[in-house]
Amino acid sequence: MQLTSKNPLTSKMKKTANINTALAAATCALLGTVPVAQADEGVWEMDAALLYYGETDRVTAVEGVFSASKDFGDEHVFSGKIILDSLTGASASGAVAQPNAQTYTRPSGRGQYVVAAGETPLDDTFHDTRVQLEAQWTQPLGDDMRGSTGVHLSKEYDYLSIAVNGSLAKDFNQKNTTVSAGLSLAFDTIDPEGGRPVAFSEMVIDQGQFANEEAYQAVFDATRQEGTDDKSTVDLMIGVTQIINRRMLMQFNYGFSMSDGYHTDPFKVLSVVNDQGLTQALVHEDRPTERTRHNFYWQTKYALDSGVADISYRYATDDWDINSHTIDSRLRFNLSDNTYIQPHFRYYQQSAAEFYQPFLLEGTALPTFASADYRLGEMTAYTIGLKYGMKMPSGNEWAFRLEYYQQDPKNAGFDEPGALQQLDLYPSLKAVIAQVSYSF
Amino acid sequence: MMRNKLIKITLALICVQLVGCANLGVQPWERDLLAKDEMALDSEGNDLGLDDHIYFSKEATSGGRAFAGGGCGCN
Amino acid sequence: MRQFHLCMLFILFSFSPLSLGFAQQLPAPDFAISVDQLPDKLSDFKGKVVYLDFWASWCKPCRKSFPWMNKMQQKYGPQGLQIIAVNLDSDLALAKVFLDKVPADIPIIYDPQGNIASGYKLIGMPSSYLIDRAGLLRKSHKGFFTKKESLYEQEILILLNEKG
Repeated sequence: MQLTSKNPLTSKMKKTANINTALAAATCALLGTVPVAQADEGVWEMDAALLYYGETDRVTAVEGVFSASKDFGDEHVFSGKIILDSLTGASASGAVAQPNAQTYTRPSGRGQYVVAAGETPLDDTFHDTRVQLEAQWTQPLGDDMRGSTGVHLSKEYDYLSIAVNGSLAKDFNQKNTTVSAGLSLAFDTIDPEGGRPVAFSEMVIDQGQFANEEAYQAVFDATRQEGTDDKSTVDLMIGVTQIINRRMLMQFNYGFSMSDGYHTDPFKVLSVVNDQGLTQALVHEDRPTERTRHNFYWQTKYALDSGVADISYRYATDDWDINSHTIDSRLRFNLSDNTYIQPHFRYYQQSAAEFYQPFLLEGTALPTFASADYRLGEMTAYTIGLKYGMKMPSGNEWAFRLEYYQQDPKNAGFDEPGALQQLDLYPSLKAVIAQVSYSF
Repeated sequence: MMRNKLIKITLALICVQLVGCANLGVQPWERDLLAKDEMALDSEGNDLGLDDHIYFSKEATSGGRAFAGGGCGCN
Repeated sequence: MRQFHLCMLFILFSFSPLSLGFAQQLPAPDFAISVDQLPDKLSDFKGKVVYLDFWASWCKPCRKSFPWMNKMQQKYGPQGLQIIAVNLDSDLALAKVFLDKVPADIPIIYDPQGNIASGYKLIGMPSSYLIDRAGLLRKSHKGFFTKKESLYEQEILILLNEKG
């Protein structure tokens, strides 16, 4: 049972475009529940994977996963997972490019960075390591029914996430139909370096106007809120899996998610530009403290004579006005009894959040909420990849995966004043994903 | 409003599945292809988890999948 | 008074955990057998207790059931137990691969079309059926659970001890 995750965008406060969102903990919370593939009894089945994610000129991440599961008899299964990841690189801060060089203050308040003329401002302050632990227990609960429960923990320097989950699955119609329901509760605490900024407070940039270090620090501290903050999320999912015929099965899921707490990314800013398109100030963003999401998911798996076709569609909508469509397809071709290739294609499209703005116009009233985080804007993205797997005589399996991910943000209908018209405010993001896995 | 309608339709579909789809499916001994490891819904669990990680961080939507059902239907 | 005693006996007996199902004793669906050293059809096994197991190469619990069935056949064969394993693979080559890895000391019948299985209205895989010495279907099991092995053995013993 997989439950929709919490909003990953704001969970990792210190890092901007990183892939280590602690929220992944909650999302992955139910990835291992009510497992279908039956393991041999009494043997630990283990999987290890190493993933490299690299954007051109931006974020680079390396992630290692080790998972193990064991059937302790009659389908009483324990599975555990440990994930370690490390992030470096630069991510878009939300400010707009300018026809001249700009200076920004680092989120901690200590140090500055300069952005060249015409370049999208990227904050390269961060690099961090994260650890995630998961444990899940699944067992039959009487005839035709299975239950599963688990915990997730994710920890990094400034972020802690704890989640618990529980789910039930029941079979009907000679096990041709399976209905499942799951619940997940997550609690995150955030304590970013430099403290959380006050909403819409101006970024303090030391350009010699302060008498001394203390004076600067005092003004900087005035833009910061005290203490830590937190966020809690409730996820609910209901699903049906139906065997259609000897070759095909389908799944329909409905997911509901409600999160309450700090959703803002404390390191994202908006540029306040004048009617010439020139930045006058930078202000910190602010997002609503609540988010309610709905998720509709359909998947089909079809057994070919020598392979499997897998296609899924997901429609998501929420009260931030973000609507998205995702089509994900994998086609596995068995080249021989022991080897296969699997091309992968994914298409994603989302509409902008209601409070998304690429910049603020000087002189206009401040909105209640605003963010220029490109991840909340209008975009389309596609992934194209290939995986190759081979089984060794010992029964262990190697797999290699190489994928290309491109994200194209779009203008959600904002006029660009003056100098901004000559600049690319919506640069594409291009990334390569490479992974090696070993199952034993 | 559109969303509420969608929710109701989906839940109705799920209920209909239970009752109306008693005809769909196969006999227990005809699940040889469905029993294959690659036909399991969680067959590439680690890959799917890693991918979900990436897409959470770069996009505004997450989740969707579940893993119950399918397979060989044994025990 | 005598009727009352009979009633009490009846009630006591029916509550007894040692009896196996008074209700619904139908003859086990018959089928032809074309394995050497075995009779031509199931009904020819009258006088013996038959444990009929339906399995397939892709069924993982079957890997546990075979060693147990081998053990039971060896232990109770002399007392009149006959275990028969009916294979339901549509691809017989896969069944052979399974049997290479999991040896069977019991006879195997091949039913790739599922004709015999249809007669027994299988609900899940694997499924096993206990047929008494009179050829009546007494017990059915859905799935194979190592925890229940001693229970399965007890049921076999009860049927073996029944007078034909």
